[in-house]
Amino acid sequence: MSRSPYPPGAKLTSTEDLRKTRRIIAEYPDWSLTIIPCLSNLCLQSIVKNFEEKPIYEELSDTQKDFVHEGLSTSLPLHVTANLISDGVYWKRCCEQRWDLCDVSLYGHSWKRMFFERHMENIIELFIPDVTEPKTVLEMIPHCNNYIKRLDISQLLPPIKEPQKEKEEEEYGSELASENEYEGPSMDHFDFNILLDKLTNLEELHLVYRVKQCGMNFEWKLFEMTDRDCESLAKAIKSCKTLKLLRLHLSHIEDKKCRLLVKWLLDHPSLRTLDFSHNVIGDQGARAIGKLLTRSQLETLNLCDNNIRGPGAKAIAHALSKNSTLLSLNLRLNRLRDEGGEAIGKALLNNNTLLHLHLGANELTALTAMALSKALFQSNTLKSINLSCNNLGVDGGNALVDAMSKNTSVTECDIRQTEVDEQSVSFINQVVRTNWSVEQKRHA
Amino acid sequence: MSENQEAKNGVPPQEAEEDPNEENHEETCEIQPQDEEEEEEEEEEESEELITPQKMIHLLRDSTTLVTNIQTAADTKESMRRTELEEARRVRLEQLMNDAESSQEKFEEITRGWSVAKEKVIPQELQEALNSQQQLCVAIIEDKKKLINELQQELRVRDDRYVKDLRKQEEELALMMERMEDQIKTLTKAYREELAQMESIYQQANEVLLSRHRTEWEQHLNKIWDQELENLAHRRKKVEEYEVIIHNLMLETTDKFTLYQTDLNAQFQALEREKQQVKATNMITTLKKINQKNEKRQRTINLDNIKSRLVSLQTEMKKLKASHYGMRKQLTKKSQCLSEEYKRSVEQYERIQGKKKHLAVANARKFEQMWLTIDEEVKQLVDRVLVIDSQICRSLGLTWQRPPMPFMELSGPIQPQKQPEGPACRAASQQFDNGQASQWSPMRLDLSVRPKVEDNAERKDVEMYKDGTSVQSESGAEVEEGRTETLKKVMELLCDEAGYLVEDKLLNLLAPLEEEEQTLLKLASLLSTFNIEVEDVPSLAEFLLKYAHKQREQTEDVCVDSGESNKNAEEVETHLTSELIDRNQILPVLKSFLELRAS
Repeated sequence: MSRSPYPPGAKLTSTEDLRKTRRIIAEYPDWSLTIIPCLSNLCLQSIVKNFEEKPIYEELSDTQKDFVHEGLSTSLPLHVTANLISDGVYWKRCCEQRWDLCDVSLYGHSWKRMFFERHMENIIELFIPDVTEPKTVLEMIPHCNNYIKRLDISQLLPPIKEPQKEKEEEEYGSELASENEYEGPSMDHFDFNILLDKLTNLEELHLVYRVKQCGMNFEWKLFEMTDRDCESLAKAIKSCKTLKLLRLHLSHIEDKKCRLLVKWLLDHPSLRTLDFSHNVIGDQGARAIGKLLTRSQLETLNLCDNNIRGPGAKAIAHALSKNSTLLSLNLRLNRLRDEGGEAIGKALLNNNTLLHLHLGANELTALTAMALSKALFQSNTLKSINLSCNNLGVDGGNALVDAMSKNTSVTECDIRQTEVDEQSVSFINQVVRTNWSVEQKRHA
Repeated sequence: MSENQEAKNGVPPQEAEEDPNEENHEETCEIQPQDEEEEEEEEEEESEELITPQKMIHLLRDSTTLVTNIQTAADTKESMRRTELEEARRVRLEQLMNDAESSQEKFEEITRGWSVAKEKVIPQELQEALNSQQQLCVAIIEDKKKLINELQQELRVRDDRYVKDLRKQEEELALMMERMEDQIKTLTKAYREELAQMESIYQQANEVLLSRHRTEWEQHLNKIWDQELENLAHRRKKVEEYEVIIHNLMLETTDKFTLYQTDLNAQFQALEREKQQVKATNMITTLKKINQKNEKRQRTINLDNIKSRLVSLQTEMKKLKASHYGMRKQLTKKSQCLSEEYKRSVEQYERIQGKKKHLAVANARKFEQMWLTIDEEVKQLVDRVLVIDSQICRSLGLTWQRPPMPFMELSGPIQPQKQPEGPACRAASQQFDNGQASQWSPMRLDLSVRPKVEDNAERKDVEMYKDGTSVQSESGAEVEEGRTETLKKVMELLCDEAGYLVEDKLLNLLAPLEEEEQTLLKLASLLSTFNIEVEDVPSLAEFLLKYAHKQREQTEDVCVDSGESNKNAEEVETHLTSELIDRNQILPVLKSFLELRAS
């Protein structure tokens, strides 16, 4: 139908080609020299583009490094970037890409440290024993070794159970199985032995043996550590010579595991803070911790929300009377009763280092208050004391008032919910405030 | 406080009541710090200056206690729950123990029953025993079931409670978070206020400091300005001084320079002058040379001219000499005939003179007679007038006096002023005529032939005349000036009276000249005609004067004595004051003077 020998489409393309061949720069109205980037910029761009194949970073100047930081892809493999690219915008971009909340102040204002710590935490938290290759962790170690100072692991996954029945069986015979050491390989969590001795900069370790968002698959087993876990962890901690803080909470540690852990923690060179809060440590465990207090450099000990009673408290008090390093002792929510309270009060008479003491919710009565008031009366080292949620009564309050009237060091004294009469409370508060202001002035 | 008491009771149903109490307590706890906060704020408003580290601490402490209250409350609840749990566990354990004991007894009973049953042989008995055993077993089972049920119920209750607790904890957590947020808010607010206050205080302090510094600064600045101004003034003064000095130096240098320049100029000028002089001398020498050349040429030319002229003049002289001889012959002839004619005319003249004298005497007589008659007539008229006057006076009653009348005594005619030509005059004219006849002829010739030579002669005459006068004036010391004056006047008169003797030609020539010169020339020509030497001029004047005096005396004599007529008498008298000599007498006197000399 068409008159032209060529189809219309072909004709169109030919005109387009013509236009292309005829096109010259001057025909661009918005063409200008400034659009052409500098050669250095082009080089930098190519460096950024080919960073994986040929990483060039150390030779660059600071401003060029900044450019590279801005331009590099965040999906580059870590073995390229980890030890090459210094802390900066690149790691910030990586962090912000992966996580919504990024508070760099918690990581010593280092984006790189933040990235690697969280990266490692993610790896460990998602580590499924027997399924995930340990290699994935081990591979990461040389990259992040220099940057990890703290590991805050909020969950540890158990291995996948094969049949449903087995699980039921275990449920029934858990106690027996633990005793018989017939546990099977199934319930052991991630083995820290492979990791901790290689992290040469690790200072803090926060551990929770639990599974987050388990939903209807809830089992108590998911919220406790096995004996083998305990042993391996203890060994791992022993091998980590730089660790300063160990926090093992909400992990259902009973006396046996506690003793096991303590056995390995004895004479640890660097450990300063130990936190076994929210566990089920009883008197025997407390006794072990007492032993630990005599054979370590611990400064802070947190045993709140455990099941320590009088005998355990006595053991701790005995250790306390000999210890000269501990600064803070937290025994909140235990069952010390007057037996333990009095023991601690007596121990304080011989201790000149402890600054903070928390004995809240321990079913103490006036007797403990009197014992403590003796200590307060005698020494001026203790700075804060918490006796809340105890049934001290009016007599205990009076005893404390007597002690506080002479004391000049206590700047915090919590006696809420202790049935002390209001006059004593107000008096004590007044003394505490004056002490506090004096302390402030001394500091200023 | 009530909580613990309640907790002591440890009864589960009361726990429900616990919550509101607790909450109330918490609320009261909550309200207190708020009140405190308000108070603090008020205090802050009242005294903003003194802040409030302590208040801030209070705030902090109170808010934290507000938050931790929940924790402590939870702690107490937890501890209570645990005691309860322990209690319940203990009770349960006891119950279980009891149950176990009772069931053990029952079990023993059953086992005993089995032994009893074994002994029994009779089937019925055995059946009974079996039944009883069965019953016992059922009883035990029922007991157990009951126990299980109880425990299960308890478990269910516990579950419910756990759920409740969880919810409560959730609520508490929510509350705690809320309070924390509140705390954060209040604290941030408080910190902000504190910050604002601190800022304001610091700002004030800053402003104070700033203003102080500024004032100091301004003072310093002013000081510096003043100093600068002083320095500036000082510098300006110095500059002015230096300017003056420089000016002076400049002036000195310029003076020196100008001096030097003038010196140089002078030198230059001197040199220039020398140069010019040299040039001029050169020029002069050249000019002299040129001049000499020119003169030589001119002289040669002149000499030629003169020579040729000499030749021509010699020829002309010869011609003139020839004509002179001819003319002289003619003239001698003419003079002979003219002298004859002159003799005749002299004779005629003498006759006319005689006639004239006669006529004059006759006229005088006639005049006297006439005068006397008219005089008498007038006297008569006067008498008549007097008579008439006296009559008029008399008629008027006035005393009449005869007015003095000297003229009445007089008689005779009054001497006439002008005398007619006297005899002297006549003599002078005669003499003049004679002189003219004898001497004028050669003079005329000279004048016609060589006027220039005559002029020269005249000038010489004038000079000589002047010399003469000056000599005269020296000799006559008494009437030095008067004489020269009179002499001059006399000469003038002479000129005027004898003017007609001067030729007309000469007068025409003299016309453009001044009057004095005219008179001088005239006089000169006259003197030459009179043949009077310049030395004789004063004597002529003296003569004239003397003659004039004599004449006067004569006329006076004539007038007084008789009617001897000399009309000039009175006229001379009147002229003595103004004019020395009577004009009319000049010519006769001159004539007489000439005659006197000639003799």
